[in-house]
Amino acid sequence: MKLHHVFALFIGGALGAIAAAHAADVTDATPSQIAALQQTIATCGTCHGVHGRSVSPTFPNLAAQTPAYIEAQLHAFKNQTRADPDAQAYMWGMASQLSDATISGLAVYFSGQSAPPGSGGNATLLAQGKQIFAEGVPDRQIPACASCHGAQAQGNGPFPRLAGQHTAYLIRQLLVIQSALRTAPVMHGVIKELSRSQMEAVATYLESI
Amino acid sequence: MKYILVLVFLASCLGLASPTGAVPSFARQTGMACAACHTVFPELTPFGREFKLHGYVLDNIKQITGIDTSARQTLAINSLPPISMNVEISYSHTGAPLPDSTIKGALAKDGDLLFPDQVSLFYAGKIADGLGAFIQLTYDGSADHFGLDNTDIRYAHHWSFGGPNGNNHDLIIGITLNNNPTVQDVWNTTPAWGHPYASSSTAPSPVTSAKVDSGAGGFGQTVGGLGVYAWLDDHVYVEITNYDASIPGGAHPLDSTQADVVNGLAPYWRVAYEQRWDRNSLEVGAFGLDASTHPGAGTPLRGPTDKYKDVAADVQYQFIGEDHFVTFLGTYIHESQTLDASILDGFAANDRNKLNTFKASGEYYYERLVGGSASYFGTSGGSDVQLYAAAPVVGSANGSPNSRGYILEADYLPWLNAKLQAQYIGYQRFNGGATNYDGSGRTASANNTFYLLVWVAY
Repeated sequence: MKLHHVFALFIGGALGAIAAAHAADVTDATPSQIAALQQTIATCGTCHGVHGRSVSPTFPNLAAQTPAYIEAQLHAFKNQTRADPDAQAYMWGMASQLSDATISGLAVYFSGQSAPPGSGGNATLLAQGKQIFAEGVPDRQIPACASCHGAQAQGNGPFPRLAGQHTAYLIRQLLVIQSALRTAPVMHGVIKELSRSQMEAVATYLESI
Repeated sequence: MKYILVLVFLASCLGLASPTGAVPSFARQTGMACAACHTVFPELTPFGREFKLHGYVLDNIKQITGIDTSARQTLAINSLPPISMNVEISYSHTGAPLPDSTIKGALAKDGDLLFPDQVSLFYAGKIADGLGAFIQLTYDGSADHFGLDNTDIRYAHHWSFGGPNGNNHDLIIGITLNNNPTVQDVWNTTPAWGHPYASSSTAPSPVTSAKVDSGAGGFGQTVGGLGVYAWLDDHVYVEITNYDASIPGGAHPLDSTQADVVNGLAPYWRVAYEQRWDRNSLEVGAFGLDASTHPGAGTPLRGPTDKYKDVAADVQYQFIGEDHFVTFLGTYIHESQTLDASILDGFAANDRNKLNTFKASGEYYYERLVGGSASYFGTSGGSDVQLYAAAPVVGSANGSPNSRGYILEADYLPWLNAKLQAQYIGYQRFNGGATNYDGSGRTASANNTFYLLVWVAY
């Protein structure tokens, strides 16, 4: 996505009218607004990669993530309602001064970046992970991940994209959600009985696609 | 020559051996925990390096701002001043007691409690858009001295360019104004922030070090420098900084009563390449310093000078896991000395000397809670019976600077900003010998030092 489209939505968000249809009409963002968003994207990019593809699995890939999920998480960091260890260490500070319009602009920008390519993994883990993702674990009352996150794990509104995400990051999130360090009401019940080895399998599969 | 030795020993006691660099005001400014910038303080993570290279200006707290009629920002300062405290309390014990400082044949007290070893006050954070500072004022307990410690004031500007969004490449150009060669550096292989991060300021340390190093021969806090650096795509770093003498206290303008006074400008240069992958980062670099100095110490600051050419190579590897943290640091420094002035003044026996220093450290921490390190260090060089003259404890019986040994350290961090440290430095050779190295019967192992430290920053 071109930055001037992001600026359009950024400004549109500020006006309370986020709509892609308006994007082409709102291309006259002031230089200071453009510079401010560029600077914020560069700051995020220090850890997440300026195109939303991070190097360290401590930091999630943001490229092609759903905008609704990015916005929700940034608000949760800003409001300090997402409180897992890395959220507190990094994101409470980073999100604390973001305006609603900037959050919208960031969501549009990063969701518009090219998805990270999948990476390989242990064949047995991949097969086990694919099965868990597509079919769940019926004997543990764990539903299929795909039912909310999409058949290709591409995400769906508030349900995040998981495809291409770092294995270690996904496992970390499953663990902190399971232990309730991170609040995620739907997920608490869904993964209550998910074992560590099952987490590793499904996370390995998700990074591969 | 003994006068020079005493001067460098006193200089080494004035805080040069004990870098400090954990600054909670950065955490207050950014809203981020220490863990964002440090593996275990003061060692920097990749994000910590970026924060420093951007000029210490990343802020996430309410700003007090001002603009002029053309909307140019004229003020942007934190609503809270970026002030921090650092307190170090230590106990040092050497393998054998040191001689009494005045009574011949008597011994000093066995073991030394320093309360405090150091107390530092920092102004560390943003001053204006792009402009930030790390300014450390330290009270040194052993010297009973309060003064300016490590200081780095810098301005940085960031550009993004290339690609459809104009952000495929990143470039930071910065300016640094500092008082210690390498205090501006962002890797922990360079001397100012090198391992060990804290060690005894009262135990004997080897007779000399390279000018770019942080030991007795170094320039820390006795120079002022202005430099420019560039950081491209989180990979390539280049810097050049020119230093001039800036010795606190004593005669000003500087005169013959001062020692080791830089003549003209002393250029420091630095190149480094960093690669990051998964949870790893690897840096390979080089740095150096060219300096000419007047020995002073009773001789006029005129005429021939001593010339020092330092060239160093360094490598740093970090693994930053969720629970496990591993670091390897390696540094090699080669110094060529041309001592035209010291020969004339009778401070040196040779007009040319070499000095080689090698340091290697491995560190491991578990959950930033417990861990430790093992290090090996060595200095070797040509013998010079004037430069490294025999003197009790601090001198060399055979005029040699050769020292080598190891450091073992265990750390416990009950909180991210508090460290309990137990360190043991063992010398296999000290100032050229293992036994009677100083000509007064002292052994190298007599200087082995057990050092306990309570280090808190808030």
